[in-house]
Amino acid sequence: MSLEDHSAPEEENTSSTESVSPRKPANFFQERPPQVVEVAPQLLRHWTRRDVLLFGMGAIATVVGGGSLLPQTTLERLGIIQGNKNWPKKEWLLNRTLRIDDDVAEALYSTNRLVPTYTKSQITPLKNNYNGATPDPSYIPEWRLTLDGLASGLSVSLDIRNLLASFQVHEQITRLVCVEGWSAIAWWAGLRFDDLLRAYPPMSQSKWARLESSVNRGRWGNPDPYFVSLDLSTARHPQTLLATHLNGKPLTVEHGAPLRLLVPVKLGLKNIKAITRITYTKDEPADYWAKRGYSRYDGI
Amino acid sequence: MSCSTQLDKEQSAASTPERQAGVLVARRHHLLVRCSHWLNVPILLGLILSGVSIYWASPVYRHKPDPRTGNFDPLGDVGIWICAHVPGLHQYGSPPDWVYNHISVGPGLLAPALRLHWLCAYLFMLNGLVFVIGLTIGGGWRSLLPRRADVREALQMFRYYLGLPLAKLRRRTRLHPRFNTKYNALQRVAYFSVPVAGLLSVFTGWAIHKPMQLHWLTAIFGGYDKARIWHFWLMWVFVLFVVPHVILVLADGWDTLRSMIVGWSTRAERPEDFSQ
Repeated sequence: MSLEDHSAPEEENTSSTESVSPRKPANFFQERPPQVVEVAPQLLRHWTRRDVLLFGMGAIATVVGGGSLLPQTTLERLGIIQGNKNWPKKEWLLNRTLRIDDDVAEALYSTNRLVPTYTKSQITPLKNNYNGATPDPSYIPEWRLTLDGLASGLSVSLDIRNLLASFQVHEQITRLVCVEGWSAIAWWAGLRFDDLLRAYPPMSQSKWARLESSVNRGRWGNPDPYFVSLDLSTARHPQTLLATHLNGKPLTVEHGAPLRLLVPVKLGLKNIKAITRITYTKDEPADYWAKRGYSRYDGI
Repeated sequence: MSCSTQLDKEQSAASTPERQAGVLVARRHHLLVRCSHWLNVPILLGLILSGVSIYWASPVYRHKPDPRTGNFDPLGDVGIWICAHVPGLHQYGSPPDWVYNHISVGPGLLAPALRLHWLCAYLFMLNGLVFVIGLTIGGGWRSLLPRRADVREALQMFRYYLGLPLAKLRRRTRLHPRFNTKYNALQRVAYFSVPVAGLLSVFTGWAIHKPMQLHWLTAIFGGYDKARIWHFWLMWVFVLFVVPHVILVLADGWDTLRSMIVGWSTRAERPEDFSQ
C-alpha cells in the first residue's frame, strides 16, 4: 500500500524514485513490466514492520471474531467454551444475514414466474421426512378445514367433499426441495390456494396466513404442534395448491391426508401436511422452523 | 495513502546525505488484491466447514444402508474405518460422525450451518468484487491472462517441481525455468482458474439456493441434483489448490509471502533489464 505514495515523479530527491517504463506495451492485454522503485533499506524495514504488524492484528481479530461465529455446539465440542449459554449477541450478525437472504428471496419471487414442470416419466420417489409420530388415521373422517381472519368476520368450516365439489382441481408435476438438500419430483392434484382466497376473501390488510396441522405429535407421542407462516403473495401463486392427491391417488396419512399445502416456490418444510386451520393475519405469524433457527421466508 | 504525510517525513529523514544504498523493490499486489486474498482464508474456511455440515444433512453420494450400522454415507464409512484402524480412536463415541466432527462445524447442525454458510457466501461475493476492483485499479489482471504457450510452459514447471525433491535428495542443483513475467505459466493457470472456480461456486450456489426463481441457472448446471454435485466438487478445487499453493509459497521463501502482505518484492530488476 505504500508504493502509491512514492510514485510521483517529482520525488526525485527522495529515497524512492520511480523509473518510467522504457517500452510501450504492444496491446491493451499485454502484461506491463513491473513498476520498480528504489527505497532506503531503513524505510523498507519500517514498511515491513508496519504492514506485518497490521496483518497480524487483523489475523488475530479474524480468528477471535470468526471463531465466535461458529455454532455454540461446535465451540463446546472443541472445548473453547463450557456450556456458556449467555454468549454475547453473536447471533445478531447471523440473524441479520438470514433476514437479508430472505429479502433477496422475496425480491426474486414473482407471482407470475412459474416453476419448471416435469413429465410423468421423471417422477421420483417422495419420502415422508417427518420425524414425529404419523397421526392415527382416525382423524380423517372427522377432518374439517377451519378458515379464520376472513373479511366476513366469520369462521368457516369446510369438509373435504365441500372443497372438492366447489373448486376446480388442478394437476402439476413439480419438484419439492427440502432444506436438507434432497428433492423429489411428484405429481400433485388439488385446488388452488388462490381460488380459496377468492371464494373466502381474507380481511383487508391481511398479508399472511398461519397454517396449522393434524400432524402434531413428536416422536414419542408428545405434543409437538406443527404450524407454518405463508405470505399471501406466495399463496396466490398459480402453482400453490391445497393438494388432495399424490401421483394420482388420494393423499396417504404419511403425505398429509386429506389436504396439504403444496408450494413449490418454498422449501419443503413450508409444505405443511394435514392442514386443519388457516388464519389470515396482518402481522407475520410464528413459524415452527423459524423458531428453530431456520429462515422465515424460505423462498427458493 | 492516509499515512502519506507521515511517510513523507520519514522519507526526507531517510534521504539525509549519509543514507545507505537503496534497495530495488517491484510493486507486486494492489492493496485490495491483498485484502481480498487474505479475507478468502476465513471466508473459505467458514464456507467449507458449514458446507460439509450442510452436506451431512443429505449426502450427495450414498450407497445401500449397511445392514449393521445403517450407514449409507461414504464419509461416514471413512469415519468408521478411521476409528477402527487408528490407535486411540477405538473408543470414539460416534465413528460415522468422525469425519464431520473434524472437517465441518459438526453433524446435526443444519440450521446454524446454513446461517454461517449464507454469511460467508455473501462475504465471499463481496470479497470477489474487492478482488476484481483491486485487479482493475492495480492492472494486475493482465498478469493473470492465459497465453498461448501456457500449457507447454506449465508442463515444464510441473516437471521441474516433480523432479525437485529427488534433486534435493541427491544434492544436485536443479535450474528453475526462467520467466520474465510476473508469474510462471503454472502459476498463471492456477491463479486464473481459481477465481473462475470461485465464480462457478457462486453460480452453482445460487442454482441450488434458488432452483425455482433462478431455474434457468439451475438448468445450465444440469438441474438441481447435478448443481449440488458441481458445488461439492468445486469445494475440492479450492482444497486441491490451497495445499500446493501454501507449500510452494513457503518453499519459495519470505519475499514471496511478504509480498502478499506488504505488496512489493525485493526481487526486482532495473526496468531496462525487463524484456517481454
